[in-house]
Amino acid sequence: MLARMIHHRCLRSSHGNFIVFFSACWLSFFDWAPGQSIDFDKDVRPVLEQHCWDCHGPDLAEANLRLDSEPLAFQGGDSGEPAIVAGDPSRSYLLARIQHADPSQRMPPDSDPLAAADIEILQQWVDDVPRWQAIADNASTATLEHWSFQPLTRPERPGKAVHPIDDFIQHRLEQDGLALGPIASPTDRIRRLALVVEGLPPTYEAIQSFAADPSETVWLERVEAALQSEHYGERMAAHWLDLVRFGETHGFETNRERPHAWRYRDWVVDAFNQDLPYDEFVRRQIAGDALDDPVATGFLVAGPYDLVKGQDELLGLTQRQDELADILNTTGTAFLGLTIGCARCHNHKFDPISQSDYYAMQAIFAGVQHGDQTLPLPPTEKQRRQELDRAIEELWVQLRPFFRPAVAFALNEEEFSPTDVRFVRMTIERCTGGEPCIDELEVFSGQQNVALSQTGTKATSGGDFQHPLHRLVHINDGQYGNAQSWIAAQASGGWVQLEFPEIQTINRITWARDRTGQFQDRLAIDYRLEGSINGTDWLPLATSKDRLPFASGDSELPEFDFSNVDPTLASEGQKQLDSLRRKLQQRQQLATPPQAYAGNFNEPGPTYRLYRGEPTAPREQVAPAAVASLSDWQLEPDSPEQQRRLGLANWIASSDNPLTARVMVNRLWQYHFGTGMVDTASDFGANGTPPSHPELLDWLACELIENGWSIKHLQRLILTSLTWQQSGLPNSQALQKDSDSRLLWRFPPRRLSAEGIRDCMLVATNVLDRTAGGPGFSAFQVEEENVRHYHPKEDFGPEDWRRMIYMTKVRQERDAVFGVFDCPDFNQVVPKRSRSTTPLQALNLFNSRFVLQQAELLNQRLDQTAQTPSAKIQQAYRLCYGREPSESELEASLTFVQQTDWVQFARAILNSNEFVFIP
Amino acid sequence: MFGIHRRQFFGSTASGLGSIALASLLQQQGLLGQEVEPIRPTIDPGQPFAARPTHFPAAAKNVLMIFCSGACSQLDTFDYKPELIKRHGQPMPGGENIVTFQGAQGNLTKSPWTFRPRGQSGKMVSDLVPKLGELADEMCFIHSLTGKTNTHGPGENYMSTGFTLDGFPSMGAWVTWALGTENQNLPAYVAIPDPRGTPQSSVNNWGPGFLPAAYQGTDFNANQPLRNLNRPASISADTDRKTRAFLQQLNQQHLEKYPGDSELAARISSYELAARMQLSVPDVSDLSTETKQTLAMYGADDPQNSLKAAFARNCILGRRLIEKGVRFVQIFNGAYQTGGEGVSNWDGHKALEQQYSKHGPVLDQPAAALLKDMKQRGLLKDTLVVWCTEFGRMPTFQAGASGRDHNPEGFTAWLAGAGVQAPFTFGATDEFGYKAVENVVTVHDFHATLLHLLGLNHLQLTYYHNGLERRLTDVHGHIIHDILKQS
Repeated sequence: MLARMIHHRCLRSSHGNFIVFFSACWLSFFDWAPGQSIDFDKDVRPVLEQHCWDCHGPDLAEANLRLDSEPLAFQGGDSGEPAIVAGDPSRSYLLARIQHADPSQRMPPDSDPLAAADIEILQQWVDDVPRWQAIADNASTATLEHWSFQPLTRPERPGKAVHPIDDFIQHRLEQDGLALGPIASPTDRIRRLALVVEGLPPTYEAIQSFAADPSETVWLERVEAALQSEHYGERMAAHWLDLVRFGETHGFETNRERPHAWRYRDWVVDAFNQDLPYDEFVRRQIAGDALDDPVATGFLVAGPYDLVKGQDELLGLTQRQDELADILNTTGTAFLGLTIGCARCHNHKFDPISQSDYYAMQAIFAGVQHGDQTLPLPPTEKQRRQELDRAIEELWVQLRPFFRPAVAFALNEEEFSPTDVRFVRMTIERCTGGEPCIDELEVFSGQQNVALSQTGTKATSGGDFQHPLHRLVHINDGQYGNAQSWIAAQASGGWVQLEFPEIQTINRITWARDRTGQFQDRLAIDYRLEGSINGTDWLPLATSKDRLPFASGDSELPEFDFSNVDPTLASEGQKQLDSLRRKLQQRQQLATPPQAYAGNFNEPGPTYRLYRGEPTAPREQVAPAAVASLSDWQLEPDSPEQQRRLGLANWIASSDNPLTARVMVNRLWQYHFGTGMVDTASDFGANGTPPSHPELLDWLACELIENGWSIKHLQRLILTSLTWQQSGLPNSQALQKDSDSRLLWRFPPRRLSAEGIRDCMLVATNVLDRTAGGPGFSAFQVEEENVRHYHPKEDFGPEDWRRMIYMTKVRQERDAVFGVFDCPDFNQVVPKRSRSTTPLQALNLFNSRFVLQQAELLNQRLDQTAQTPSAKIQQAYRLCYGREPSESELEASLTFVQQTDWVQFARAILNSNEFVFIP
Repeated sequence: MFGIHRRQFFGSTASGLGSIALASLLQQQGLLGQEVEPIRPTIDPGQPFAARPTHFPAAAKNVLMIFCSGACSQLDTFDYKPELIKRHGQPMPGGENIVTFQGAQGNLTKSPWTFRPRGQSGKMVSDLVPKLGELADEMCFIHSLTGKTNTHGPGENYMSTGFTLDGFPSMGAWVTWALGTENQNLPAYVAIPDPRGTPQSSVNNWGPGFLPAAYQGTDFNANQPLRNLNRPASISADTDRKTRAFLQQLNQQHLEKYPGDSELAARISSYELAARMQLSVPDVSDLSTETKQTLAMYGADDPQNSLKAAFARNCILGRRLIEKGVRFVQIFNGAYQTGGEGVSNWDGHKALEQQYSKHGPVLDQPAAALLKDMKQRGLLKDTLVVWCTEFGRMPTFQAGASGRDHNPEGFTAWLAGAGVQAPFTFGATDEFGYKAVENVVTVHDFHATLLHLLGLNHLQLTYYHNGLERRLTDVHGHIIHDILKQS
């Protein structure tokens, strides 16, 4: 019972000191005797009023600390330090500051210390546990007033419009005397649909066929087709990757590559394409390793990572705190629209998030480490691997008797039938590493070594390694060991030759790397020994080809020599060998298990609240938990790492969470209209903006949850509304009232994103490579120093003409042409890109080699499909604007082309507003 | 010239409705409990760089910053420590417990360069930078700067953006977002990378962070022109002009359908601005109009030291940009690209004397000439010159090496020109030059002061991003009033 009370989190106030309260005071709570209570108004208030209220009263509330009421005092201030720890004055920050030894820290400032009697009163006050118990109980039942923390309920529809979205929008417009605009032209609607949902322009034919029958049924079909297109996931993923600061380099000064990061990008694309339910989408990104989807946790580590670790311990601690802050902040903003990261150093200034909440959240991620994760193999592949391993093992068992033992470091013997020779040569083709070494080459005639230099045998070689210990004379000096050995000059091999004073009948050769057994390197593993009478014609004596391979698992089997084997057996052996070779090759192809930059998970040590966020100032230990004011979910401090993330994931992805669905619905709204109903899309707290259409937001959030969290369902709803299909043309009356079109009296037109412009160009010129997924392409020549340098490419070819989402995202560096169109630098979460218009954008589109080349390609395409100048112009308008040119446009274009040339015409079209705007 | 005039656009097609005149019905609210109200620049999308008012009368209109990348040693340049000379070769008291970036400390080591009194003020400056020393009377030294990190990337981020992490707006971006610029034909903010390449934190040093991308520094130098500035070689000037006119015609027709749409109008004006830039950037970059004397003064003609000559050309370019009214110019000295660890920047860990002997002359004459030249031309009246680096270096040599390790505990920067006292010295490090002990200030204080000199209140210059009103100075920063010229 006592243990449960310690963790009884629902009693925690929004400012987080209740956990301290219980863990610190349960003993004194039970020791307490009635009748000691002091009176706040009579005893305490006069002290506080006289000494504290000037700064910590209702007027100033410095550091957000107010001491004019007991509940407010109990809440504490910005510091996150508990002002009052019930029953423990020594740990109460209020008393600590009043009694501080350092006058510059002591409260009240620039005054004499409080009288001992006053301090005594405050101590008794803090000691009065039941008083604080009652205040805690009250605080827990107090409701959170902020709109986004209210439970979701589906609002009544305000009117009678057919489409629910139009109903809410129309209703709000009417309040300002405005109305929905007329429906947009079929051309605009189809272009808008394709550009917003797929990020690519529609074909002219698609526009034409819709224009011929722009019925509601056909529109529904078109919406459906767009949502089912594989390009839909690519467009949606671009939004999401911005939001989760996804990059494919580490950032910071070295900015090295993350070659396996793309798998998370593909995961996001696929998740959208498959309409993975949003709650599942959330869960897997936080705890995919527990849900059979390990790539998804690429989310956690998608942010920058400082590879440069110094010797300085504090630096290391700070770096780790920064890493965790990045993970925590991204999780809070992306899924909950809560800026939890703001509570790292002190309690959140605007939202009910305490510093303890921050560290409770940090405890959830404390085991997450940056890095590649080796992915588990799919079951079929695993099985295939096991089968192969078994077959290979069996083949080895059968083949083993055919062969001599593998070469060894300490001694190798070669026996053969007696042969007359004057020369013996050993030729080495391959070695275990480095230049091959032989400590002694012995050649026997019967029991006598005839190779010794003392008996007149001369040694020559193809080249010697230059070293005092390793010399050619050591090859036959009768001394063993590394210190008296010969090493060939080349790592690729070499030869050494012995010439006897006279012809010898030899039957055995021995050699070794090091007969003393100390050295295990430089071993010849592929060699042959030959003999000769005249030094010109050579006979084979022995070879490595009938030995077992040196290292098992070597996928490249050496050539085997079956010449010493019975011919019938030999053919059988050869067959088995061929089979083994094939199987080893197959195994080799399976050998590298895929990797993904999805992080690694270790069991973490304890997490402490850090005073002012300083790693050197740990305070009490904190257990993994959700934001206390929103949930009482909490785990034991030493819970298993995975369980922590899974628990958090389940809390966020719950239909009871008031934020999750609202936040995502708002994002989807933003993706379609350019701005969300809440335009601070990642801040649904008190410092964010209130929604333009609160009822509609809640209605859609309920709709999302009740339809299995289907994102496509929600988008279908938006895309079929008149609100979304209305014209983008302005009208001056509405413009004067609502210049930003936030009430949606028109569809707000907007410039395409950087990706949109680039992709649309490639479609217009017909060079877009639509290959989906896999490693990306680079916009840079990479200078591979310790610190990577990225130089923009100057020449472009088909390998650069994939969709821009597949361009490797290099942190800090933006694409040299399109980056200035508000591409993020992938270091910070970007819920909504800024949309700026600058002369550098104009220079890049007008003068860059990339665009010039596209202009030439567009001209080539026009040449291929149209015969006359008028037809070419017509074709250009169709391809780039999705419409026919007017008479005057045709004429102006013809005049221009006569004065200049067709490439210039294409260049102008690709730069034009109509081409780069979503109508 | 290029079809239509901007004024005509807004006049005829937008029914006189400039976007800023329109009511923004659902303007961002927020800002609960802000201690001071943010002052947000009012930005016309059609003229994003138009000059904008300061928060209060400013001492300086523009900034020219020289950033020595790699952490230039205070102890070998401007921070004179007789005790260090006296105790040369002895262990630093307490030094055995100090673990810096690369590890343990060796003994106290005096600078290989002699310090001498300079100017009327007699300020002690080392022989590594004698020509800068001659100008000591123009300078306002801060010897007591402190940083937060001892790693270069985060350190450069911190000096340039106020945060050690990546992704925050650079000081120049903040300033040009707030103030725009005087000359609409040139970029508002120019970053001039060292001839050897980019600094450690590369484009972070002049990045826009979460501010609109328009306010990022445009990077080019005297040796490498602005990318995509010029029309492609295959296209004649006449054809280029005609194409631009045709493009504007296409855009005008399109705009007629969307009267009053400021984004479309802004895009039209951006092409006009680009065209003007196309003329004015080559013009400002063309150093052939400089006199022989000027080139010689900067060392831009030095045949013995081509690196110095290249850096000198960057310095001349910097002056020319300031002359033309560019708001913020950042000149980098030192690069990581062609060699870290002090090879081509100030990161003298292992062979300080040998490396600094090369870097000193590259910096000294050109930077000194720049300051002198600006003074002669009267540019210092409106321009604040800033010399800085990401952090300092240790008074000891590293154990087993002949160079100094990183040290953010106390380092030097100097200011000159508009609004600052000179000659003046503020703050001090301890007897060895290790830790700031007198008038200790942070980089946040430094930033707050620079903004103050530009007429900006660092508390009010905020931008809402992810739940916070972000500032250059994070939640810190106090103006260093002592160094301000009393007016």
